[in-house]
Amino acid sequence: MRYALRRLGFYLLAALASISLNFLIPRLMPGDPASAMFARFQGKMAPEAMQALRASFGLDQGSLGAQFLSYLKHVLTGDLGRSIAYYPAPVTEVIGTGLVWTLVLTGVALLMSFALGTLLGVVVAWRRSGWMDSVLPPLLAFLGAFPYFWLAMLTLYLFGFKLGWFPLRHAYSYDVEPGFTAVFLLDAARHAVLPAATIVIATIGGWVLGMRNNMISVLGTDYITMARAKGLTPARVMLRYAARNALLPSVTSFGMALGFVLSGSLLSEIVFSYPGMGYLLVQAVRSQDYPLMQGLFLIITLSVLAANWLVDLVYAWLDPRTQSDG
Amino acid sequence: MSLDHPRARAASLPATLSRGARAGLFVFGCALLGCNADRPAPAPGVLSISVQQTSAWVKNFNPLLPEGSARWPTRSGIYEPMMIFNGVTARWVPWLSLGATWSPGLQIVRFELRPGVTWSDGAPFTSADVVFTFDLLKRYRVFDGNDVWGFLDDVRAVDEHTVQVRFSRVFVPGFESVAQQPIVPKHIWADIADPMTFINPTPVGTGPFTEVRVFRNQVYELGRNPHYWQPGKPALSTLRFLAFPSNDQANLALIEGEVDWAGNFVPAIDRTFVERNPADNHYWFPLLGSTVFLYANTAHAPFGAADVRKAMSMAIDRQKLVEVAMYGYTRPADATGLSDAFASWRDPESADRDWMRYDVAAANALLDKGGYARGEGGIRKSPAGLPLRFDIHVVSGWSDWVRAGQVIARNLAEIGVDARLRLYDMSAWIDHLQRGNFDLAIAWSGEGSTPYRFYRWTMSTDTVAPLGTLAPSNWHRFGDPPTDELLHAFERTDDLEEQHRLMRGVEKRFADLAPAIPLFPSPMWGAYSTRRVDGFPSAKTPYAKLTPNAGTESLLVLVELRPKEK
Repeated sequence: MRYALRRLGFYLLAALASISLNFLIPRLMPGDPASAMFARFQGKMAPEAMQALRASFGLDQGSLGAQFLSYLKHVLTGDLGRSIAYYPAPVTEVIGTGLVWTLVLTGVALLMSFALGTLLGVVVAWRRSGWMDSVLPPLLAFLGAFPYFWLAMLTLYLFGFKLGWFPLRHAYSYDVEPGFTAVFLLDAARHAVLPAATIVIATIGGWVLGMRNNMISVLGTDYITMARAKGLTPARVMLRYAARNALLPSVTSFGMALGFVLSGSLLSEIVFSYPGMGYLLVQAVRSQDYPLMQGLFLIITLSVLAANWLVDLVYAWLDPRTQSDG
Repeated sequence: MSLDHPRARAASLPATLSRGARAGLFVFGCALLGCNADRPAPAPGVLSISVQQTSAWVKNFNPLLPEGSARWPTRSGIYEPMMIFNGVTARWVPWLSLGATWSPGLQIVRFELRPGVTWSDGAPFTSADVVFTFDLLKRYRVFDGNDVWGFLDDVRAVDEHTVQVRFSRVFVPGFESVAQQPIVPKHIWADIADPMTFINPTPVGTGPFTEVRVFRNQVYELGRNPHYWQPGKPALSTLRFLAFPSNDQANLALIEGEVDWAGNFVPAIDRTFVERNPADNHYWFPLLGSTVFLYANTAHAPFGAADVRKAMSMAIDRQKLVEVAMYGYTRPADATGLSDAFASWRDPESADRDWMRYDVAAANALLDKGGYARGEGGIRKSPAGLPLRFDIHVVSGWSDWVRAGQVIARNLAEIGVDARLRLYDMSAWIDHLQRGNFDLAIAWSGEGSTPYRFYRWTMSTDTVAPLGTLAPSNWHRFGDPPTDELLHAFERTDDLEEQHRLMRGVEKRFADLAPAIPLFPSPMWGAYSTRRVDGFPSAKTPYAKLTPNAGTESLLVLVELRPKEK
């Protein structure tokens, strides 16, 4: 428990630092939101109106220090301000259009990719030099190296366009009312198959390879030989002895990946017209939408930190030695 | 592909992808796999429109915010102006007003409002609404994007159906901003505490489509205004807007029949779209957009010299440029710089000049004459001894302009000018242009109902800002006092004949001076399918602009569309 709290303290400090960076970094970009907005209006806007717009964005209000203080105050009260790219919609509302969809799509895809990939890695390493070991890792690495955009487009054309098995776009049909109804959930699931499948295909190779390599080094250790010598069942040796220890580095990567779930998956969102955070992030950066950027980064940072804290806890459970070293 | 208009739409695409490659893939995919179009047809009377691109809709029906920030129907279906300028027929169409009359001194204009118009909640539309709207523009400068209060004195109601607009000086070109201002209802907006942050979730307007029926992140639908003032119109029951994050997705939906009317760029449209169903699938890409220019910063040497600009212009193979960069959807510009939006203003005498003809030998001769001798590697040097080596600023990801820049760079090499393409993100690019922090750049030009704004933008001293200061137009910093005189005279007359005479003078100045290098007029993208809806404008029946990217002008189309009779 003390360990968990100590880690928590560390993460709170890290959160504070990242909140400050979050404020500073967007402002170091060249240009400013008003010019970006002016560009969007193709110069159809009078300079006076531009000036007024700048003022309403709060860009002219005082020094950087004063802006930082009001930013801190707003973050603490949960008020993320109004988006500039989607002016005058509040940032929370803009993020709300994509948050849940990203969470479900990228989250589920990551879980599937991690679980399946790790399991395959364990099996492949266990049956080293078997047919699976010689075929699977190179094949999956090949698929992973395939440009994701092409992979997604190809899947879309084949299974969506040509065969018509899955919808071509969106997270649900436009004539289905969202809600916790069987019709909607089924519809949404059908829409998620292609994007989720492409993400899994593109990322699974990494998990398989990572786990396989960890497994192989663990399998060479003395305590595995000892376990085998004791006459334990192969399944027990594989899972409880080898896999549990080999899992540690993968768990770290998983924690990182989990945190980045919320940054969305831009390309799958584009190809499958799926709502999500990736698109918003790009949009925010391109329009120099400071409030939206800050809101998105804040959510991403906090979730990365939260995920890492959880991973620390899992780590401590998997490998009790970490607790004493702190 | 980002050839749509406004250019802004291009910003919605990730720069990380090569759009050319994606277009290629798109065409290739259709050819290889065959695009089937057998999907269940939506209910009759529904028009599915693809115009704004985003991955998720965010609610905003505030018509006073800068154009493009609110959802499309806000200015094209919900709120209406007093008059609409039809860019195809080049005529003013009376809308919420029956017409406008100038006072003899051209300082007062009276709008006679249309009687019997009601808001969608049933309340009558009166002159108080117009006065109130202009009052909001005065109170909130953000709303006054055209700066009407820079030339207006006051707007007052003479009686319930007459509005009198008094100008602070004689400024005839200001009429278009006043007449086309979307009008909001006083009885609703007077109670809004902060109109600037008002997203107007349940709009009350005078337009044909006002009822927001569905609003979700991927789709929203508008139903018709129960009180619309045009009897029997609109004939359609519903406008539907699906969210598409990029052109590829929108094009797929268009080809597949999910979208009836689209304003996005479609590559190889004859093959990918029309041939699928020649009876119903059509497009019309008139060159009514703004002219795209290669701007040379005249405040930087050696671009202050007209001969250098002209030589560079002669070195550009525009025919090849429009084929390579624009898929042949447009043609080379002429020496007036005017796009077809100003076709009736174009003076043939000024349009045809040597410096717009592709002639490398003549270009080289011109530079030789100017003392720009060839130096190391064949690169010319200015008389001061500096090599002619420049960057062309282009927005990264706007693949049509990037390709144009590549063609230009190759062309300029042939006359000993070493030009390199520099790609910037849009906000950095516009910042460089506005501050005059560039040598060469590809960019758009001014639009309007007359060429006034276009020429003011390209060659009036009134719009020249010092280097380093943000300039909303005239990025190349070119001013010509004789042009100013002509434009100032133009501001003071409403006589069409006189306006044309003055504009011919301006055109001649442009053709003589070559203040900037015109490349090609932009097409306005518009494609439609008559499978379910009929009545679209086309090259055969050009009653208005087909493109839905026409702002207020799209109202002219929306009221004409009707469900197809079977």
